[in-house]
Amino acid sequence: MSASACSHASLELSLPSELGYEVIARDAIAAFARRLSIPDERIEDLKTVLCEVCVNAMEHGNSLNPGLRVQIFCRFEDERLVVEVLDQGVRQYTSGARPLSIGEKVAGRGSLRGMGLLLISQLCDEAGFVPWPGPGNRFRFAFHRQPGHDLHG
Amino acid sequence: MMLEDELTVSTRERDGVAIIDLSGDVTTFAEEKINNAYREVTSKGARNVLLNFRQNDYINSAGIAILIGIVTEVTRNDQKLAVSGLSQHFQKIFRMVGLAQYAEIYQDEQEALAAFKAQA
Repeated sequence: MSASACSHASLELSLPSELGYEVIARDAIAAFARRLSIPDERIEDLKTVLCEVCVNAMEHGNSLNPGLRVQIFCRFEDERLVVEVLDQGVRQYTSGARPLSIGEKVAGRGSLRGMGLLLISQLCDEAGFVPWPGPGNRFRFAFHRQPGHDLHG
Repeated sequence: MMLEDELTVSTRERDGVAIIDLSGDVTTFAEEKINNAYREVTSKGARNVLLNFRQNDYINSAGIAILIGIVTEVTRNDQKLAVSGLSQHFQKIFRMVGLAQYAEIYQDEQEALAAFKAQA
């Protein structure tokens, strides 16, 4: 994709809150990222992050109500792929308490679940909830086309 | 419409190692199949257990939670656990979440079996 085309590149998807649809979104957005020349290794990271964010929106935001939608907005700006995932906010959720380590989980000190936000924070260049008048939760993450790219350099 | 992906789980024994082959997506839908396979090999007296991944394009945090559950049981039952066949990406993920502290990661089944043999 040319530099000019990249500057206008965007993609929008809308999914029901049913587990499995995140894989369809993942494949579409991975194809979009390839067109933007995001490196293959980073696309693997993107796929994992996107699925985790979508599943959180389906499970925690929309309480797996298939009638509620998860919307995904992707755009390429400032040499980075920015993805926003919105749910319809049956309930608000945040990263909340400190996630348990695997040692604590194995020792039975809490739920075995809850590794999703850890993966998200470790794999992408930017991630977090975006203040939003709502209703719903709005989570944004970004991958730089070149790792370590300084947005303001 | 259900979009549950098929995960195929099967068990076999080779060189004294109980091998659980996992082919497909490891997500929340995988829990019963993986736990049943682990219980099956444990009931047969397995001391060494290998989770052998194949063509796994999607392992999410719910799937990782299932594997942490297996780690918990392996620790409780004083067994040894290893994993093989993961892509480079999922090897990174396993290290990131700490699973590598509890299960050695090998490139393939042969390498894992050789390591179990060397430890015997």
